[in-house]
Amino acid sequence: MTDPLPSTPAYAPHAPAVARTSAALAARPDLVVCHECDAVHERIELARGTIARCQRCNALLGRGHVIGTEKLLAFAVASLLLILIGNSAPIVTLDFQGVVSQATLPQAIEATWAAGQPFVAVLTAATALVFPLVFTILRLYLLGSLVRGIVPRGFVPAMHMLVFVTRWGMPEVFMLGTLVAVVRCASLTSATPGIGLFAYGAVTLLITAITAAGTHTLWKRSGEIGGMA
Amino acid sequence: MSDAAVHTGSQMKLYGCPTCGRVSQLLRPPAGDAPLLCPRCATPLHHRRPRSLQRTWAYLIAASILYIPANLLPIMSTSNVFEGETLHTILGGIEELRHGGDWMLALIVFIASIAVPLLKIGALLVLAITAQRRSRWKQVERAQLYRMIEAVGHWSMLDVFVVVLLVGTIRFGALGGVMPEPGLLAFGAVVVLTMLAAGSFDPRLIWPEEEDKDRPS
Ligand SMILES: [Zn+2]
Ligand SMILES: [Zn+2]
Repeated sequence: MTDPLPSTPAYAPHAPAVARTSAALAARPDLVVCHECDAVHERIELARGTIARCQRCNALLGRGHVIGTEKLLAFAVASLLLILIGNSAPIVTLDFQGVVSQATLPQAIEATWAAGQPFVAVLTAATALVFPLVFTILRLYLLGSLVRGIVPRGFVPAMHMLVFVTRWGMPEVFMLGTLVAVVRCASLTSATPGIGLFAYGAVTLLITAITAAGTHTLWKRSGEIGGMA
Repeated sequence: MSDAAVHTGSQMKLYGCPTCGRVSQLLRPPAGDAPLLCPRCATPLHHRRPRSLQRTWAYLIAASILYIPANLLPIMSTSNVFEGETLHTILGGIEELRHGGDWMLALIVFIASIAVPLLKIGALLVLAITAQRRSRWKQVERAQLYRMIEAVGHWSMLDVFVVVLLVGTIRFGALGGVMPEPGLLAFGAVVVLTMLAAGSFDPRLIWPEEEDKDRPS
């Protein structure tokens, strides 16, 4: 976004898209409204790797995409496999004078529930396991259809859900938590990081890369396929 | 940049959709008090989110109250045949890491568990009070502050994950075990409540308009 608008543009002459309300709302694909300060900017094409910031409040308004759609789809496939491995393999293995103890993430959640902390168990299950998993499945579902030129069934509710699980999923925090837990265990007894820890590390990188790509491309692609602005 | 050079959505009857980013221009207002919905994704459109400040205050007050038991109550207990049961608070856990020589990790846990929640509560107080007064003081810095608390907020969940993992892993029966304690519940609730408070705050309130119809209340 180079400059804010020099003057108030004339109202769009073409027919507005009317949906669900009696109000007439015309699409203005030529404009961007900053979601953090309401400043209006002209939309510009962004070169690969460049970002656009709001002229008034400096909020991130858009990115020129570095990672292509096919690659993002491959990332999502890898992420799904690694989440499955990360949840079935132990995160850390302890050896206390010959007695071995190890736990996967679902086992740790279950133990917390059984220890009388169901709220903490559910909170951990949701933010460390379920939301990253749903995020990955939604991305697979949406991208998988869009690259084949199909707008998937339930596209809009799926996009709303994607926004929610992106905000509340915390794989990167969980990743750091596993490292702290391994160090704290190691101060008591001999601790070995498990496959689960490495798998989660990779999941964190993949989800971060997918999240950075944003959702704009998905909306744009579905609009092009569906033939609406 | 001076504020006069900026055209805003409210001045131009333009609505940016918070979910899909579509920009809609209002040509004819809805009949009666029907809500304005994004034609592409049906998200309600507002120039300022309704009741944003009330919600922020409610979550913020709840978070501040729970912050006290979160730090005073033990978040976990360890037990073994030699020492019996020991209770650990968040600060105690950081002390243990520091004594064990893990300076780096002690610092990380201190930042995530103590500094970030305090910073968030303080920053949200500043944002809510200045927005309520429709202040034009340091607007760009306040916008930056808002983005910062949105970016770091979820890192406080770190200690919750650590305790859950220790509870799941350290299970040697009579030889030793770890149990979660009520402080962990309060701490998890503080993290969720501060995230809800930051999510309820409409950053556009940092930029009040001269003839603002949707006055923050
Ligand atoms: Zn802005
Ligand atoms: Zn929308």
